[in-house]
Formats: sequence, C-alpha cells, structure tokens
Amino acid sequence: MSREWNIVVCVKQVPDADDVSIDPDTGTLNRSDAEAVLNKPDYNAVETALRLKEAVGGTVTAVTMGPPFAKAVLEAAVGLGADDGILLTDRAFGGSDTWPTSLALAASAEELDGDVVICGEESTDSSTGQVPPGIAAHNDWSQLTYVEELEPRPENDELVATRDIEGGHEEVAASLPVVVAVGFGMNEPRVAGLHRKIFSETEFEPEEYSASDLGIEESVGLAASPTSVGGMDTADPVEREREMVDSVDELVDKLQSEGAI
Amino acid sequence: MPGEVDTDEYEDVWVFIEQHESEAAKVSWELLQKGRELADEKGERLVALVMGEDVSHLAEEAIERGADEVLVVEDPIFEPYLPGPYGEQFSELVEERKPDIVLIGGSHTGRDFAGRVAVPTYAGLTADCTELEIEADTHLLLAKRPTFGGDAMATIKCVEHRPQMATVRPGVFDAAEPDPDREGTTTEVEAAVGEENVHSRVLERVVGDITDITDAEVIVAGGFGTEGEFGPIEELADLLGGEVAATREAVEEGWIEAARQVGQTGKTVKPDLYVAAGISGAIQHLEGMNDSQTIVAINDDPNAPIFDDADYGIVGDLFEVLPALTDAIRDEQEGTA
Repeated sequence: MSREWNIVVCVKQVPDADDVSIDPDTGTLNRSDAEAVLNKPDYNAVETALRLKEAVGGTVTAVTMGPPFAKAVLEAAVGLGADDGILLTDRAFGGSDTWPTSLALAASAEELDGDVVICGEESTDSSTGQVPPGIAAHNDWSQLTYVEELEPRPENDELVATRDIEGGHEEVAASLPVVVAVGFGMNEPRVAGLHRKIFSETEFEPEEYSASDLGIEESVGLAASPTSVGGMDTADPVEREREMVDSVDELVDKLQSEGAI
Repeated sequence: MPGEVDTDEYEDVWVFIEQHESEAAKVSWELLQKGRELADEKGERLVALVMGEDVSHLAEEAIERGADEVLVVEDPIFEPYLPGPYGEQFSELVEERKPDIVLIGGSHTGRDFAGRVAVPTYAGLTADCTELEIEADTHLLLAKRPTFGGDAMATIKCVEHRPQMATVRPGVFDAAEPDPDREGTTTEVEAAVGEENVHSRVLERVVGDITDITDAEVIVAGGFGTEGEFGPIEELADLLGGEVAATREAVEEGWIEAARQVGQTGKTVKPDLYVAAGISGAIQHLEGMNDSQTIVAINDDPNAPIFDDADYGIVGDLFEVLPALTDAIRDEQEGTA
C-alpha cells in the first residue's frame, strides 16, 4: 500500500578541508582554526532526501550527533529544505567510534519511525564509510551503498538503486526500511532559498536527544567503542630528487638516463 | 548486545576472499599474503573464507597462495553479493570459530560487507589501512592509516573486543605467486542463512571493462588542472603503453571513472614512471602514488606541493607541456628504432 515516507538524513559537522593550513614551523597541518562545516558528501545526501520527498511525499528530518554547536549543520540542512532537525548531544556520546555512532543514529531512525535513512558516502575527516552499513546492521534493515541513482517504488515499499560496483553497476531493489549511502557527487545539490535560510538561522531550534532518551546510555561513548587510537606517527616522507627542469627535452634526457622511458 | 569477550578464546587470521561470478578480486590475494605474514608472526593459522555459488576452485587457489584452511560456504543465496546473507553467515562463523583478526579488501563490496558485519560481531574495524603489524608484547593488530589530510599516521588498536578487523585498499600489499605444492585443508560449511536475511535483490548487474591500474608500469595522471580535458594525458599514456589515472577531485567532477582514482580512498599504484599533470599534490593523493619509482610533476603553479614529492618538475601549462613531451618521446623512440 502506498503511503508517504519518513525520510531521515544523517549529517556530520567536520573541519573545512579547504581551510586547513600548514604550520610554517612544523610543516604539519593546522586544523584547529579550520571552520566547522557540513561534510561535503552530505550535501548529496540532503539533496537525495529532498528529491525522494518530492517524489513520494512525507517528511525529511536531519539528524546529527555532536556537541551543541553541531546545530549549525542541522541549520544548513533545514535551510536547504529539510522539515526538521534532531541533535544527538550528550557527554555520554564523547569518544564514540563508528560502532556506537551508528547505534545512536540507528536508534534515532527507529525513534523517528524512519522508512529511508540517507547518508553521504563518507565523512571527509575520518573517511571510513562505516556508519551507513553500521546503522543498517544495528536495526537489521537493508542497506544500499555507493548509490548513483535512486528510484522510489512506494507501491512495493521498495527503493531501487543503481550502485557503482567499480567497473560496472548493479540495480538493486531493497525493502523498506533501508539505509542509503549516496555516492559523492551523485547529484547537483540545490542552493538554499533565502527565506528558508533565514528561517533556519533565526527561528529553527532542533529537538535534542540524549543517550538516555534513546535508551542507549550504556552502549555509547569511549567505553563502548571497540577501537582506540594507539598512537600517532609522522608519515615517513619519500626522498625525491626535487629537480626543476626548464624544458621538455631536458626532462626526456633525465628520464632516459634513469631508464624510466 | 555482546558484552565483554575473553580475547584468549580468539585465534587465527582470516581473510575474506571477495569474489564475483566465481572470480576472485585481486585484493583478496594481496591480503592473503599479508595475512600469511601476520599469522606466522603470531604463530597461528591463516584461514581463507570463500562464499559464493560455485567457488571450490577458489579454495584451491587460496591454499596455493598461503591459506592453511579454507572455509567454503557454497549456496546460490551467496551469488551475487548481498549484505544481508553475507553478513548473517559471517556473524555465525565468527561466533562459532572466533577468529582473532579478519582482513577485508577495501573495495566497494568489501567496505559494504565490513561495515555490515562489524556491528553484530562487535568487532573493532579500521578502514583503509596502509600498514598492518603485530605488536610484539601484546600480539595485538596495529592497524595504521593516514589521518585527516594525511600529515600523520594513526595507529588504531582494538584491545577488548574481537575480532580485530581491517579493510585495505587494492594495491597496498603485493600478492604472492601461487605454489601448487602447498597443502591445506578445505572445510565445507553449510549455509546458515534463510530468506528472512534477504532484504534486497539484485535486478541487474552490468560489468564493463575492469581497469586495473595497480599493475601498470607507467601512469599518466590528471587532476583538477585538466579541467576535464584528458586528451593529452591519454596520448602520452598510449605512447608509453601506460594507464590513465586521476585524482579524487577529477573523479568527483565526473571526468573519469572511479576505477582510475589514485589515493588513500582510491588505488595504490607503484609504477616505474608516474606523470602527475595538473595535480596540486594533496596528501590524500600522494598516499596512493608515493611508492612510484620516478615521479614527474607538471603544474602551472610553481608553489604547488606536488613539486616537493616529485623527482622532476616542470612549471607550465599542461596543455602545452604534455603534447610537447609526447612529441619529444615519440621522436626519440623513432630516432633510436
């Protein structure tokens, strides 16, 4: 039976990759002064969610987990057209790796009675891509990753996706509820309308969920995370000639003497 | 939800052999070789896991390439790959056989699978590792990966949970040659998956040319500076019998297929000659080509970071330099022929 869909879009606040500077003294990347922005692949997720809503009807709710100031990425999503935003914020979430993070998002999607959960391909700051399948696994829902195209079939409670399988593609029909990770760059994200943008920044207030609101306070945070960072090393630089040549002929000579061509 | 586990109960190194239509993904053999090293260091066994409809020949090959034991689960439900049935079967196997380490290829299929199975097994999963080691005193897996921007390598550990899981992109490790005299055991496992685990179905599957740039001896790569015009890059690659590759930005712009992406989130390549044209040199990209023998950079920005990571650099417009380079090499080739 056909009905409208509850669409949940998961978004993340990340340091702006374009705004990371190099510390002139140490030569390392300076990230502390980088602006916090909406993860770029999530723009494709929000766009996908809005188009699904336009096709099927229903609501789009943006969800993020983070500190109180992560509210900014919900404002961005609402400015683009999401109907509402939920902020998962609680000290208990601190230090969560992808296991508890996907649990918190999965529990929220269940709380919101979600039919479709849309995520970006991966975050630009940790780039694991593990959260979308993790959400699906926690709820035992279907999953569609590396999605290039989506076709809703509300009459069958199904979503049909074209997935990139590296060297080809496959068309997969997944039963609802389903978690979708859309390929980075799969669509052209819209630009926020002025009125909606002003609304999102002045009137919109997200509802906040704590870990105990979701009943998962024992299963999140650092203690519930199976992985931990065991140390940081500087990457070993590879020694290179670093020789600037002035002409193509000189380059050909160099490459020939090395036997590279 | 699983609680604390007795880590002593878990042993052996497993490698998930990714296969499509009975053909193994090369990254699986690369991981089998790495898994062999890790298992030897721990004094444990290397176990290959093969799931599919008609895959017994892959079990033999896995033994020839280093596995002590191969777990084979043959059932039509496992062809083609679907996360539901694969995930359920894997969780069953982990619960029953308790592997200490599981390695999975960082392909689209491998990442889809790894993310799915890490949750029910409560595994510690580290994505896109570029180094894997065993810690001397603890025998823990040290999974190393470049951090955001790649200025440092983070070592990820999984101390209290098992299995310790890692995905690795294709080309990071080298595969071993098969040894037909190697011996090992094959264990057939009955499928423990029912229709209730199937949440989705594949309607159509189209596989075109599977480009494998990880074996190329010459690579000519383009980045944002090409503005989508890869003609001069293709001409030089053709002349040198090499492959065309690209940065993540170029792939995202839709200029070139994802299979040709070089970098931490793409392929790792080690050609004799790597020509980087219109590539600024983001560390994400350098991670995938740093092991090339000779690196040539062409960029119109004299301050582009790529020049620090190149053997030879030319400052100039790639649309002038590349055709001139192609012509000069062609002249040399014809002159010496």
